Amino acid sequence: MQPCSREMQAMNSLLNPTQQIPLQDLQSNGNSNAHQQIQNPQFDPTSPHDDFLEQMLSTLPSCSWSDLKSPWDPPKSDETGPPNPDNNVGFHYDEILASKLRQHQINGGGGSSSAAAAMKMMMQQQMMLEGRATAAAGAGGGGGFTMPLSLGSGAAGSHQNDNIVDGSSFKSPNHQGGDGSVQALCNSFGAGSLHGTNQSSNQFQHFHHPQGGNMQAQNFGVTAGTVMNQSQASGSTTGGTPAQPKQRVRARRGQATDPHSIAERLRRERIAERMKALQELVPNANKTDKASMLDEIIDYVKFLQLQVKVLSMSRLGGAAAVAPLVADMPSEGGGDCIQTSANGKQTSSPNDSLTVTEHQVAKLMEEDMGSAMQYLQGKGLCLMPISLATAISTATCHSRNPMINNANPNNGNSNHLLLQSSGEGPSSPSMSVLTVQSATVGNGAIDGSVKDATSVSKP
Amino acid sequence: MSPMNNPQDLNPSSLKSRFTTRFLRALTKINGQKPISSSSPREMFQRYRRIKVAADKSMAWSVRSRRTWSRAMLWKLRSRYSCRQASSSRRSSVRTSTIIKSRQAKTSHEKENKNTTTGQDEVGFVVQADKLRKLVPGGEAMDLCNLLGETAHYIKCLTTQVQVMRKIAHFYSL
Repeated sequence: MQPCSREMQAMNSLLNPTQQIPLQDLQSNGNSNAHQQIQNPQFDPTSPHDDFLEQMLSTLPSCSWSDLKSPWDPPKSDETGPPNPDNNVGFHYDEILASKLRQHQINGGGGSSSAAAAMKMMMQQQMMLEGRATAAAGAGGGGGFTMPLSLGSGAAGSHQNDNIVDGSSFKSPNHQGGDGSVQALCNSFGAGSLHGTNQSSNQFQHFHHPQGGNMQAQNFGVTAGTVMNQSQASGSTTGGTPAQPKQRVRARRGQATDPHSIAERLRRERIAERMKALQELVPNANKTDKASMLDEIIDYVKFLQLQVKVLSMSRLGGAAAVAPLVADMPSEGGGDCIQTSANGKQTSSPNDSLTVTEHQVAKLMEEDMGSAMQYLQGKGLCLMPISLATAISTATCHSRNPMINNANPNNGNSNHLLLQSSGEGPSSPSMSVLTVQSATVGNGAIDGSVKDATSVSKP
Repeated sequence: MSPMNNPQDLNPSSLKSRFTTRFLRALTKINGQKPISSSSPREMFQRYRRIKVAADKSMAWSVRSRRTWSRAMLWKLRSRYSCRQASSSRRSSVRTSTIIKSRQAKTSHEKENKNTTTGQDEVGFVVQADKLRKLVPGGEAMDLCNLLGETAHYIKCLTTQVQVMRKIAHFYSL
């Protein structure tokens, strides 16, 4: 085992110049990051094949490894390099794989290239396996070089005929259709000239051309299944086999590899995640589209700023003597406090501020009752049923009229009067009744919306 | 909102507690300066202004210039304050006003630059992004991505401010 494992490691290092994969990882079917590691098939410890493998390896001149290795290099590092010198006939297959690899790279960037490289390597290994198998007269490959992974489970030799196994999406995974499986392999890899590999070559260098097409086909069948299994397991299947699940979306979308579009994409992603964070903060967040979401955000920020203003006004007097309510401050330079109490009709601006308030409250009430109530309470207002409002207004209209007529600054007193007459008791002067003022102002907009809300809250 | 802030309440150095302490300090100072029962609208308005400024200032101080909006707000408040202080001497006010104007010009210029570069991508957001920029202090000089982040933090601080002020008002009115 030792020499074989060493050989395996050597091969590993050759095939995978960037990464050293420990032998134990070779057979890992469910690796999530397998696409980053090229999965080398596990060296199967079944003994009968070991010696054979040693022989094969000893006969294998080292230069072939570099030849074998070369097809991988250009696809990994450079998309445009031709696969390799044509000194070896068998490299047609490599060319095909290399072109496929390049195609993958164009589609999907590095990750997929390594995946395709993995697939390609598998194929190579398959070939080698078959070569060895044929040389061993169908002993089937146990692992040996090859690597096809579960080949170790005896797939190869004895299973020339049966295994294939894995429900892989391959069309005719069973070797039976020797040619069929080859065809399938060709189809999947887009390589139409796999048959070229059928050329017999007596050089063991090109393991990928074992002698007989038959055996080859059969082994293909066997190995194809395992290859597919491998690539499926590795999760790196961009376009290699159509039926396999596309587990990496980015390879598909990554059509644009220029930095501008990548930067754009990053920017868009960042904006999207910030919008999501904002969505959680803003109460009414049904993200239909970004524009409406931005509108919501803007409205909410305005609302919060308004609340701060209102609260800072309402805190002017802790005592009961003063503190009229202010709805809004349309002009910050002026000195007018705007009253929203029942007699608040001294200037025209109360009307504006009132309608503004009412519009905002109406809008809020459509969306969320809770925030509407909070909004009102922040202003020191409340909602009440119309019946009560009319009762209050009729009860106080006679006392109110003189106040309306004279523009007196004693708003606190009038507030008191109003509230006392309505029998609410000594509530804070900061409380008022929205509907009453709407009745006085003559604005019926709120009345419709106040049908059944009844919270007359006292601080 | 409140469940989110509850774990912060226990933290003695949280945003909420920092803001509360500062704001209460400012409030007591304001209450000490003037009698509470001033009934003229003008004085009330001035008081309101002072309280609002105190609230904003204490909020910005609690954030402590870690954020662009707090820095912008502090800068604005300070410049206005210095403007008022130096109202007697024309030169200083002119200087500060020119500083303000130049800064605004610079920021608007930056904004235009950024708009031209970002306008290609999301055309529909430019209008709303401008509105948002006006609302958030210091928002003129930020691109959309940072603006959204600042808005999130600003909203969080505003809600904290409102909660604290509401509770204080509640206490006052009891």
